[in-house]
Amino acid sequence: MSNEHTVKSYEEELRHLIDSVIKMGSLTESQMVDSMDAIIKVDKDSIDKIIKNDEEINKFRSKIDTQIMTLLVKRAPMAIDLRETISSLKISQDLERIGDLSKSNAKKVKPLPLDLPEELLGNLKRLGDLVLKQLNDVLDSFVNKDFDKAKEVWEKDEQVDDLTYIAMESVIDFLSKDKKNLDFSTHLIFATKNLERAGDHITNIAENVCYLIKGEYLKGNRPKGKVIQE
Amino acid sequence: MTKEERLKKRHSAEKRFRFYGIASIFVALLFVLILVHNIFSKGSSAFMKTAINVEVFFDPELIDVQNGASIDEIMQSDFFDITIETLLKTYPVNDFDQENELIDLFTTDAELEIKSALIDNNNLIGKRINLEITASDDIDQLHKGNYPRDLPEDRRRISNFQLQIYDTLVENKKIVKNFNNYFFKNGDSRDPELAGIGGALVGSFYSIIICLLLAFPVAVLASIYLEEFAPKNKITDFIEININNLAAVPSIVYGLLALQILLATIQLPRSTPLVAGITLALMTLPRIIIPCRASLKAVPPSIREGALAVGASKFQSVFHHVVPLALPGTLSGTIIGLAQALGETAPLILIGMVAFVVDIPSTPIDPSSSLPVQVYLWSESAERGFVEKTSATIMMLLSFLIVMNFLAVYLRQKFEKRWN
Amino acid sequence: MSDIKIKSKNLNVFYGEKQALFDVNLDLNEKEVTALIGPSGCGKSTFIRCLNRMNDVIDICKVTGNIEIDGIEINDKNLDVVSLRERVGMVFQKPNPFPKSIYDNISYGPKIHGKGESKSELDEIVENSLRKAALWEEVKDRLDEPGTGLSGGQQQRLCIARAISVNPEVILMDEPCSALDPIATAKIEELIDELKKTYTIVIVTHSMAQAVRVSQKTGFFHLGKLIEVGKTEKIFKNPDNKMTQDYITGRFG
Repeated sequence: MSNEHTVKSYEEELRHLIDSVIKMGSLTESQMVDSMDAIIKVDKDSIDKIIKNDEEINKFRSKIDTQIMTLLVKRAPMAIDLRETISSLKISQDLERIGDLSKSNAKKVKPLPLDLPEELLGNLKRLGDLVLKQLNDVLDSFVNKDFDKAKEVWEKDEQVDDLTYIAMESVIDFLSKDKKNLDFSTHLIFATKNLERAGDHITNIAENVCYLIKGEYLKGNRPKGKVIQE
Repeated sequence: MTKEERLKKRHSAEKRFRFYGIASIFVALLFVLILVHNIFSKGSSAFMKTAINVEVFFDPELIDVQNGASIDEIMQSDFFDITIETLLKTYPVNDFDQENELIDLFTTDAELEIKSALIDNNNLIGKRINLEITASDDIDQLHKGNYPRDLPEDRRRISNFQLQIYDTLVENKKIVKNFNNYFFKNGDSRDPELAGIGGALVGSFYSIIICLLLAFPVAVLASIYLEEFAPKNKITDFIEININNLAAVPSIVYGLLALQILLATIQLPRSTPLVAGITLALMTLPRIIIPCRASLKAVPPSIREGALAVGASKFQSVFHHVVPLALPGTLSGTIIGLAQALGETAPLILIGMVAFVVDIPSTPIDPSSSLPVQVYLWSESAERGFVEKTSATIMMLLSFLIVMNFLAVYLRQKFEKRWN
Repeated sequence: MSDIKIKSKNLNVFYGEKQALFDVNLDLNEKEVTALIGPSGCGKSTFIRCLNRMNDVIDICKVTGNIEIDGIEINDKNLDVVSLRERVGMVFQKPNPFPKSIYDNISYGPKIHGKGESKSELDEIVENSLRKAALWEEVKDRLDEPGTGLSGGQQQRLCIARAISVNPEVILMDEPCSALDPIATAKIEELIDELKKTYTIVIVTHSMAQAVRVSQKTGFFHLGKLIEVGKTEKIFKNPDNKMTQDYITGRFG
């Protein structure tokens, strides 16, 4: 993969596609950061930013779709080029879902209750940081074609599940103490769940990056942590 | 120079070139027309001969054959008396000189012509018929307008008395022009009115047939071997160079070759179509090999590969596929080579075909002449009568050449259509 | 799993001083289509021409090594190449029907091999071959017309019918569609799909897409060496060798 296509425009088209995915990834990352800020700091500016970014992310999604259609019909890509094209399609789909989840979290921001325990916010923040790091790592692995890193992300989903469980428990604990926090707590439950689902999408991305690099899917089931009874 | 000027210059150069081309064609055509006109104007009269209408009485007292006699009996009997009597009846004569002059008006073969009339219808004894007897060469030429009449008598070939007889005969419509069958039937003769190309025609025919039978198979098989089967090495290169050179060797050299080997060493009969045929074959061989090889080379290798791929052997691929495709070109080359051989004179002179041969050859080992040699021989004679015959023979030769060339074109087109 | 029909071992081919194939070891399976791909001059045509000894017609060509068809060595000097070519037929890049009638084109092969004694037998062979080549319906009413009067695609199918007429076991195709338009190409590819049920087919092609479509096994040649060989899907989705990948993705410069 070190030398270039004989047809320069083919080379450019592929580079463009990867660029679009990377840019979409960056936007998704900042989307997630802003959404965590919105929850934890109740930052109104973040909310406006998030809504605007979501439009940008959707635009990227359409752009990537078009680029892929063009590549398929023009170039009939083979081997590594084919895997790059198909993986880009799947990754952009996952990124879009992650963006939606972040937006969904930010839209229902409520003012923080006065008696909010420190621990609760801490747990949530820890979960959010982990998911953010996962996203960052998986995007890195895509850019650098780093198989080991992608595999690590895939394996770390177990941790995400564990932290989700912990955060969920502390929210339910908080709710059981005072029914008047129902609104706020419900919101937090959904936010926690969304983070877990974002983690699943990130794991999907990791699987696709591994397939892109090796040409085979990872064997075995995903490592799973504790599961919350729903 | 601007673009317009350059364009104008180029256009005028092209116009000039076109003009030169057309002018060249005109000049060439002019030469051809002059040649053809010259030959045709001199030769066309040879196809007619002058005859004098006389009354023949087959007097049984002067002839010693009966009605119903066989051809042999007639030919062997003596018709001299009846001939003289018939001829002298044409015009009143006073003395012996005048008698001779009157008889001289007729061909020397008059006796034979009278016999022929009897052979055609052998019930004529005792009867009278009108017969057109061929005139002598001098009368023939006079009637065709080739002798000027306004010269003094001692410088003319025809005496005043003979002129008198002639004028009377013309007035009485006794002089006619008939188709000259002698030109085609007879062999050579001292008398121009009797001379014909019959012998030369048959001689040329036998020579060309022998040439064809010898040269064609040898040339074609040699070409096929050299082109398809022989290994490509220095030896075959050497052979190819030599064949190409042989095509350019002057034909008289082949005559010398034939003289030394065929006549002196092997001692074949001289002056025969057999020897002529062999000599011409040697000469024509390279002229067939070269177009044949070119035709074989021109067959695309895809045809050969297609045949081989289906399981044909090399031999089958060559003979079933390559040779048929090369046939049109080969045939053209052969016919053109034969046409050239037909017109060859020098080698045939060397092998003795320049002899005076009266009889028509019946086999290829009888002595004979050939058309171009006959032209050469007659062109050397003094009599005016031979001039028209020479030109007429040239006309015959040219016709044969044209026919052969058309045949070559026709065959080529026919075969090419079949294969495409 | 198919049986191996053709085995080549340590095959080396020289054109005079120049070596065209280096130690080629390639197995071809029975009743399967094997595609040979590679850049121009890489030796793929040279290879298939070894399989029916067509390289014999080139004087300076020297072949060493083994090629076995059904276990019989064909590089043997004593082998009858005529009967070899009866078993291993060939279709060329540019359609080359004989300049004869359609009927004669097909009947020529059987006739020279002594198959088809009577006219009716030959008629049957001609009809069968043309049917198998998907050409019968188009030409059945004009068998007397010259083969060269057909369109390019029809001519190529005629050549395929001609190859089939002698009942071969293997059909070699050297870029059979490169001179044809897309519709004619599609018809030939369709035909190849059918033919592989009966014959072992080896096809040299410049079109990657064609190799993927028609073949089950693919071999990649480069500068006279067989670089990689394997199942077609693997070669085109995830080849083992970097050179193979560079070639099929168009990264050769």
